[in-house]
Amino acid sequence: MAERVAVVGIGQTHHRKVRDDVSLAGLLREAGQRALDDAEMTWTDVDAVVIGTAPDSFEGVMMPELYLADALGAAGKPIMRVHTAGSVGGSTAVVASHLVSSGVRQRVLTIAFEKQSEGDTTWGLSGGRSGGVGAGGYFAPHIRAYISRSNAPEYVGWMVAVKDRRNALKNPYAHLQLPDIDLDAVKESPMVWEPVRRLESCPASDGACAMVLTDEAGGDAASKPPAWVHGTAIRSELGQFPGRDPVNPRGGQDCAADVYAQTGITDPLRDIDVVECYVPFSWYEPMWMENLGFAEIGEGWKLTETGATELDGDLPVNCSGGVLSSNPIGASGMLRFAEAAMQVRGQAGEHQVDGARTALGHAYGGASQFFAMWVVRSDKP
Amino acid sequence: MRDVAIVSFAQAPAQSRVETTETQMLYPVVNEAIARSGLERRDIGFTCSGSADYLQGAPFAFVGNLEATGAWPPISESHVEMDGAWALYEAWVRLQHGDVDAALVFSSGISSKANLREVLCLQSDPYYLMPLWADPWSLAALQARAFLDANGHDERSLAEVVARSRRLASGNPNAQVSGEVSVDDLLAEPHVVSPLRASDAPPVSDGAAAIVLVAGEAAREACEHPAWIRGIDHRADPHYPGVRDLSTSASARQAAEAAGVAGGPVEVAELHASFSHEELILRDALGLDDDVEVNPSGGPLCGNPMMVSGLVRLGEAFRQINEHGKQRTVGHAASGPCLQQNLVCVLEGDA
Amino acid sequence: MADRATETEDGRLKFMQQMISLDYAIRVPVVSREFGRRLKDGEISGHECPQCGLVYVPPRGFCPICVVETTWEQDAVTVSDTGTLTSWTVLTPIQYHGQQERDDYALASILLDGADGTIGQQRLLDIPLDEIRMGVRVEAVWADPSERSGESGDPRGYGFGDAIRGFRPSGEPDADRETYEKHTL
Repeated sequence: MAERVAVVGIGQTHHRKVRDDVSLAGLLREAGQRALDDAEMTWTDVDAVVIGTAPDSFEGVMMPELYLADALGAAGKPIMRVHTAGSVGGSTAVVASHLVSSGVRQRVLTIAFEKQSEGDTTWGLSGGRSGGVGAGGYFAPHIRAYISRSNAPEYVGWMVAVKDRRNALKNPYAHLQLPDIDLDAVKESPMVWEPVRRLESCPASDGACAMVLTDEAGGDAASKPPAWVHGTAIRSELGQFPGRDPVNPRGGQDCAADVYAQTGITDPLRDIDVVECYVPFSWYEPMWMENLGFAEIGEGWKLTETGATELDGDLPVNCSGGVLSSNPIGASGMLRFAEAAMQVRGQAGEHQVDGARTALGHAYGGASQFFAMWVVRSDKP
Repeated sequence: MRDVAIVSFAQAPAQSRVETTETQMLYPVVNEAIARSGLERRDIGFTCSGSADYLQGAPFAFVGNLEATGAWPPISESHVEMDGAWALYEAWVRLQHGDVDAALVFSSGISSKANLREVLCLQSDPYYLMPLWADPWSLAALQARAFLDANGHDERSLAEVVARSRRLASGNPNAQVSGEVSVDDLLAEPHVVSPLRASDAPPVSDGAAAIVLVAGEAAREACEHPAWIRGIDHRADPHYPGVRDLSTSASARQAAEAAGVAGGPVEVAELHASFSHEELILRDALGLDDDVEVNPSGGPLCGNPMMVSGLVRLGEAFRQINEHGKQRTVGHAASGPCLQQNLVCVLEGDA
Repeated sequence: MADRATETEDGRLKFMQQMISLDYAIRVPVVSREFGRRLKDGEISGHECPQCGLVYVPPRGFCPICVVETTWEQDAVTVSDTGTLTSWTVLTPIQYHGQQERDDYALASILLDGADGTIGQQRLLDIPLDEIRMGVRVEAVWADPSERSGESGDPRGYGFGDAIRGFRPSGEPDADRETYEKHTL
């Protein structure tokens, strides 16, 4: 990339089922203000704003950048809105980083959000028609196919569910706080989308995530250590055609290969210290471990089973509690990118991985067909 | 900045009530734009599109449009829930990095599935404006009134814009509305929302458009007369009509300054003026002299597919250089009620 | 608009409900119209891409991989109304506004004999939920001809509209895994 990009500010809301104490704009302001405070900047220091959110029908606001421009201090500035389905939070961060790496802007504020309580997501997903299956109903057959192919024991899904919720207990911003979670609780929770149980599924959350990205000078001047963006990649593939494999989609493989090539990663398991990936249903942890090259095909579940993906394991995955603990849909991808940056900044508090220097942020969306990734490091590229 | 040029443009005719899916309307346009660029599909390093789910009334409506690109093997692709002109902006930014040299930009919109005036009410502040169902026509009328009052114009100025646009549209096979009409006949029409008449507003249009961008010297290989992007930028105004001076467009002025419109003589400007008075506001905001030819295509008043119309303006500004030998043109796109957001792109030929 | 509001304990307004209703007129695309007409006659049809040879059911009017047009005149094929269940889920329907489903039900991906891709989200009928498995051979359960409107159900061209109620076991032995493993979904 032409210009180096630094993440100098990160903020997020306290994610909750209902944030009835703030408006939609107030939710974004809360995340944005925290990111600016972290960066020791103000709203007026920002050159451009890039926002991202999932379908407009989730909140009933069409093209919300228009309404949000005032609250985000974007009057007189450029503001854009990205929408790439579930991967949008990640794609939005990538667009924001490109504004800086291209040399077009120097200080970009990017915010991704969802206020699920102000609409009805399942209604929105169904286009207002009866018989909508929700995201879980859509992905359940993919998960079944993975389990069938890999012969993974069913408790692996429960283990992911427990691990991420225990991590969430260390994250004051996480929505679900389930101190009593254990394998039995997951196992005994109701089956919602066979083979996915309720506690193996993400919650519906209100929340937002924001980051301030600057050029190299901004990163050098920052009083707190920045996270340096070493590589970004996006991929999209057709969602439905004969012979497509959404269990291990090629788009995800290609996207990972692209971002690894940019960052000199040849052995992801060795070269990456911590991973935040988009796991809305527990089985997606082993599925993405394979897709991202951390395990051979059919072996990803062993990383979970052996505890490698625990906070103190060889490859900590979703130390924040992940999507399984907080799911403001449009923000969920950016939260992954932001957590990766927090880890290499040493800023992750109780869920900090000691000595994390290289982190991968990952998001996916649509019919497992949209991918966004970045690799951030504590060192400059 | 790296030199980037528009090398090809294709569009579907603006029409109402197309009988195909959005993707079926779109893919021949994408194919045509790529074919005209002389590039192969695999030469495209980045793809970006613009559309809005609410036009379809379905979430993720844009996902199906990926099928128009033949996204297999997977492609590097992004989408903005904005007019395609902002997708072009994102693609231009992407091409600055130097690792990819060609980008595909497209947008599509079927505006005729629902009552567009109602649907667009959802663009307003959900707490204070949307419950009023303050539709874009009514908001436009407020702006028209503010403009007329502030500038000493009368409704005849608006009708003159309409008559000129329709006359010019007669030469545009993609226009939906065209023909000779007298100013007096237009003024004899009843108001719909005073001071606006039906003719002051755009038709409800379905449509699609695609543009190929190429960076550097390769643009001259792809195209005999490429249109170089010499400046492109965009700005937003506040959302609340009450906190702005509606008689002008501050954000259009800022975008024009940032894009460098004043850096040379402008021969032609294609303006995303959806209502007649917007053309007059934009002429002023962009600092266009009276001798600048505005909207030779007929403009949005003669065909206005939502989410596409801004990209078409950039495409038409390209055609002026590519086909009509012009040297310096301006393409403009707008978004939101009362021209809330504006994007300005300055194009130049090789001279 | 507010027909339901919630207040805080001290009487401040917290939420007011605003139901937004927008009507959309969904025009059935020309390609789907013919698909629906054939369904009304009891025939499941598709288009075979003239370039790559893949058979798309329902047809889209183009091949999304080759991005070339397909037409009823040149590329129509008829496929069987029997096939193989390749994956499934059992749903507990979420009761959102407008949802009419109340009880648990099964949806499956079906690889029809003669088609190249599966058709997702198909209702499974006449099989106990705990007996569903990959590889079950199934057949279409057609609606009575008088109940078939001749329209495919979705403007984007997915599904069988009201012509086919779902799929049920055909009684054949389960298919070998090799016959469908490239089409898990």
